[in-house]
Amino acid sequence: MEKPLELSRYCVPFTPFKKRLEDALVCLVSTAGVRKKDDRPYVLEGDTTFRTIGGEVVAEDLAVDDTHYDHGCIDKDLNCVFPIDRLRSLGREQRIAGLTEQHFAMGFSQNLKEVRDTTVPQIARAVVATRPDAVLLTGG
Amino acid sequence: MQGIPTVLITVEPEESAQARPPRALYPKGFIAGHSLGRPRDEALQKWIILDALGLLTADPRPGEVVARDYS
Repeated sequence: MEKPLELSRYCVPFTPFKKRLEDALVCLVSTAGVRKKDDRPYVLEGDTTFRTIGGEVVAEDLAVDDTHYDHGCIDKDLNCVFPIDRLRSLGREQRIAGLTEQHFAMGFSQNLKEVRDTTVPQIARAVVATRPDAVLLTGG
Repeated sequence: MQGIPTVLITVEPEESAQARPPRALYPKGFIAGHSLGRPRDEALQKWIILDALGLLTADPRPGEVVARDYS
């Protein structure tokens, strides 16, 4: 198994952005418990797995499994935490180049060691494979 | 491994700051469940996204959570 990347405890892992936003493909990554409606639900008590969300989906295709934040807004509009439709709209307006072919999400977990050692490296490798120019991260 | 530029939208700025994110935006007053603003308010949600993505091209402030008011 590949050893997890060890981050410095003192330095911020900063990667410069060298493109124009108008030329950038953006990947969306969220910890809001988002998944496609036909995908496997998250375990509400704790889940260290992640879900891949195709770039073609719209917010209406998505569901949330979570009991840790108020769903009053996302029940009306999931873009409140996972702004897939808004990013696509910005692509149409040529404010960004567009979206990557895949996006990623995970749910609630207190198993921070497994999240850090396993889940996050898996998500990072999956994100790299989509070849984004930038990643937008959202929580709940 | 090659790095990828990231930017975070957070509603928990103090917790996020502890992780020293390379770029982060805190829309003031927003809470978990609507970190991108009100439901179906497309203009506000896109404004916040563009402000967040704008941190990619702004002067670097690594480790800092930038707070902005959208009221």
